[in-house]
Amino acid sequence: MNCYKCGRPLSEKNFCTSCGVDVGLYKKIIYTANRLYNDALDKATVRDLSGAITCLKQCLKLNRDHVEARNLLGLVYFERGEVVAALSEWVISKNIRPEKNIADDYIRVLQENPGRLDSFNQTIKKYNMALAYCQQDSTDLAIIQLKKVISMNPKFLEARQLLALLYINTQEWERARKELTRALRIDANNTTTLRYLKEVEEMQPSEEEHGKKKKEAIVYKSGNDTVIQPAGKKETAGLQAVMNIVIGVVLGVGIAYFLVLPARIRQAQEDANVRFAEVSELLDEKTVEADGLNAQIEALMREKEDLSDSLNAARGTGSALQADTDLIEAALLHLQDDGSEMEIAETLALIDRVYLEQEATESFRNLYYTIKNEIAETVAKKSYDAGSDALRAEDYDVAIENLERAVEYAPDDGEALYNLGNAYNRSGNTSLAIPIYEQVVEQFPNTEKARKSANYIKEIRGE
Amino acid sequence: MINFEEELKKFHPSLEVEEAERTIKHQDLTDMVDVLVRVVKDAKEELGN
Repeated sequence: MNCYKCGRPLSEKNFCTSCGVDVGLYKKIIYTANRLYNDALDKATVRDLSGAITCLKQCLKLNRDHVEARNLLGLVYFERGEVVAALSEWVISKNIRPEKNIADDYIRVLQENPGRLDSFNQTIKKYNMALAYCQQDSTDLAIIQLKKVISMNPKFLEARQLLALLYINTQEWERARKELTRALRIDANNTTTLRYLKEVEEMQPSEEEHGKKKKEAIVYKSGNDTVIQPAGKKETAGLQAVMNIVIGVVLGVGIAYFLVLPARIRQAQEDANVRFAEVSELLDEKTVEADGLNAQIEALMREKEDLSDSLNAARGTGSALQADTDLIEAALLHLQDDGSEMEIAETLALIDRVYLEQEATESFRNLYYTIKNEIAETVAKKSYDAGSDALRAEDYDVAIENLERAVEYAPDDGEALYNLGNAYNRSGNTSLAIPIYEQVVEQFPNTEKARKSANYIKEIRGE
Repeated sequence: MINFEEELKKFHPSLEVEEAERTIKHQDLTDMVDVLVRVVKDAKEELGN
C-alpha cells in the first residue's frame, strides 16, 4: 500500500513515514475495499455473480485502482454475457496498470478473434431488437429473437430472464421454468431470476407434486408403448365395465339428442331453405325461359305449316304439269303410230294414279283412257310374252314387271294373272302370290288354272 | 403477481461494441480516496486561511 499523497510505501503506522500525512482513514478505506473484493471472490466462486458484482462495484467505489477487483468484475460481466461491460472494465484496468495485467490477455483473446466479437455484437443487437418488440407488444417476434440470441450466446442472462418473463406473460409456465433454471445455472443468486421462478412455482404445481402424482400411477412398458395406469385402482369388474359403457352410450346419445341434433337440424333446415330459395329462383328463370321457347316453337310451327302448305301447293302444281307433259308425250307417240306401244305404256305409267283419279280434268282422263284402250291389246300381248319368257328364264323381277303390265292392260287374261301369281310364288314373295291365286280362282272357276292356283294356295299355307 | 409492464421497464438495452469507447470515457471513476484527498485538501486550505 502506498501513500495517496507522495506515493511512497506505507508502514504499519497511521501516518506516512515519508510525507507525514495521516493515512489512518485511507488505510481503512483500502482495507474495506480489499474485504469487499474477497467477498466478491467468494461469491463468484459459488456462482453468485449478482452478489459478486454488488461487492465489486462497492469495492471500486472505495478504491478505483483495485485492478484485481476490476478484472474480476469484467470477468463476471463476461460470464453473464455482458461483453461490452466486461471490455470496458478490462480497458480501464489496463489503463490503470499497463504492465503485468491479466486484463491484457482477456482483451487480446477477443481482439484476436474478431468473428467472435462480431458474433457477440450481433447477439446484443438482436437482444435490443427483442426488447423493442416487447415494448411494441410484439411478443411473438420478441420470443423468436430471444431464442436466436440464446442459441448464439447461451450465457446471456438478461436474454434468458426476458424470455422467461415473456413466457410468464403468455402463461407458458414450463418453458419459463426451464429458462429460469438455466439462468440460475449462470447466476445462482440473481434476485430477478429467483422472483420469476417463485412466480412460476406459485402458478404451476412443483416437481414434487408432479412426482407425487406420478407415484399415484403405475407406469409399465408394453412393447414400444408406455402404459400409465392409476395406482391402487382395482381391475374393473366385467359388469361394472358394461355398466360404464352403457352409461357412456346413454350420455352420448343424450348429448347428441339435446345438443348436437337440434343444432344439426337447424343447420340442415337453414341449408334447405337457402337451397329452396335458390332452386325457386332457378325455377322462375327456367319457367320464363320455357315460356319464351314455347312461344318460339308455336311461331315456328305456324311457319312450318305455312311452308308445308306452300310446298304442297307447289308439288300439286308440279305434278299436274308433269302429268300433262307425260300425257302429251304419250299422245304424240300414239299419233306417230310407229309401233311404239310399249314406250307409250311406259310414258302413261309415269302419270300419278291419284292425280289421274282425283284431280285430273275430265278431258285429261278421257284422253288418257282413249290412248290406253287403243294400245291395250298390243301392250298386253307383248308384256305377256316378255313376262312369260322371263318367267321361264327365272328372271322374276322382269317377269313380274311385264306380267303386271299385261294384267293391267288385259284384266280378263287369266293366263297373265296366273303367271303373275307363279312369278311371285317362285320369287319367294308368297304373301303377294296368294291374293293373285285367289283372284284366279274367283275370276276363272272350274278351269285348270283355278285348280292349280288352289293347290298352290294350299301348298303355301301348308294345308 | 408479476406485472409484466413494470418488469419490462427494468430491462434496458445492452451496450453494443460501438458504444464501448463512449461508455469508458464517461464512466465516473471517482472513488472514496478521491473524496478523502479532497476533504483533507479543503480542510488544510481552511486552516491556512
